[in-house]
Amino acid sequence: MAKKVAKLVKLQVLAGKATPAPPVGPALGQAGVNIMAFVKEFNERTAKQAGLIIPVEITVFEDRSFTFVTKTPPAAVLLKKAAGIEKASGEPNKTKVAKVPRAKAQEIAQSKMQDLNAADLEAATRMIEGTARSMGIEIVD
Amino acid sequence: MEWVEVSVETKTEAADLVTAAFTDIGAGGVEIDDPALINAYIDEGRWDYRDMERKPETGMVVVRSYLANDEELDGKVRTLKASLEYMKGRGADLGTAKVSTNIRNDEDWVDNWKKYFHTDKVGKNLVIQPSWEEYEAQPDDIVLRLDPGAAFGTGTHPTTSMCLRALEELVKPDMTVFDVGTGSGVLAIAAAKLGASKVVAADYDATAVKSAKFNSAENGTESIIEIKQSDLLKEFSGKAKLITANLIADLVIRLFDELDDHLEKGGRLLASGIILSREEDVVAAAKLHGLFIVQRHEEKEWLALEIIREEDR
Repeated sequence: MAKKVAKLVKLQVLAGKATPAPPVGPALGQAGVNIMAFVKEFNERTAKQAGLIIPVEITVFEDRSFTFVTKTPPAAVLLKKAAGIEKASGEPNKTKVAKVPRAKAQEIAQSKMQDLNAADLEAATRMIEGTARSMGIEIVD
Repeated sequence: MEWVEVSVETKTEAADLVTAAFTDIGAGGVEIDDPALINAYIDEGRWDYRDMERKPETGMVVVRSYLANDEELDGKVRTLKASLEYMKGRGADLGTAKVSTNIRNDEDWVDNWKKYFHTDKVGKNLVIQPSWEEYEAQPDDIVLRLDPGAAFGTGTHPTTSMCLRALEELVKPDMTVFDVGTGSGVLAIAAAKLGASKVVAADYDATAVKSAKFNSAENGTESIIEIKQSDLLKEFSGKAKLITANLIADLVIRLFDELDDHLEKGGRLLASGIILSREEDVVAAAKLHGLFIVQRHEEKEWLALEIIREEDR
């Protein structure tokens, strides 16, 4: 059916484990979307990535129906996973510096190429390394 | 539970870092207001029609999350600010990184959307009833129970309601009906309830197929309606006296090519979802295919057309 777009909602939530709690509830409730229908569909489609935070862009139509697309997990999430840490910087003095091998950073860049605004893999890797630096993660050779 | 909305204004490129700072303090996720994303959707032509205009590009986004309003709140917000400062200190360009908080009332998020859906008499006899509402049916009522999911809006949208009203006139007992782009299955279910003996419904989208199957079962029409995944009529065999197609103008035009194989002699196509500005295109294409528009329905900016073959006039 032809439908008019009323709203675009962007969220970053846990793949496979979304719940109607915030931020999903308030964001989609205000848009008039059937939250449970979204949660069910999202969790089903992202079950394979469960546990990782992933971006999702939800197009809400004027009749309150919706479609959504998911993107690759943010670099920050992938870096934390690669470094084996739960938290990033937070309280730097109490946190030991985490390390991620350069090859791994490149791998992350590769997996995110489609969503990154980077000219080539080298530029993408530099972006990932920049993110790592900001988070207190050291890139090692 | 009372929630506190915590927002951070930052640069578009830094949204992921701010998200990480939020998840570090236990936030279940974030919402991101990103004007550039809306512009990108518009520029890429990913939407057929929209109410939104392009936004001014500021290079900034707002990352928003919600924290429980409890004794840990202050500590969490302090940690969040510290972690933003830490990132800045290590060279991250977070823009203003202004943090603001706002108390939100305890609302029923889960059911909030239900206020948009109510029982509605859409035709002479057809009534759409959301499953959570009580409705005392009148003697002549034909009630469709539908729960809006991803593939379904209200059924009262002009493109759908025009079709439902037309179906009340067009469906005759023992008729075979094909429904293309069935979505929630609303038109197929209505056709079955109006007396069609066989309905074959299809959608290109697997989510819609699932939703249509669910709704058909809810309405007890499974024995009449066959539902499958198909690009227009590609997966259909045989012919129908009536084909319903609530699509968009371009798909309706494409569908004209498939009528020879699937529309019975003397049959009729009910095509909807046509925005008024595309009327000329659809009419011209119909003429080219030897088709004739026998009835025209218009509501708001939408059109539904009843189309027959020139030779059946």
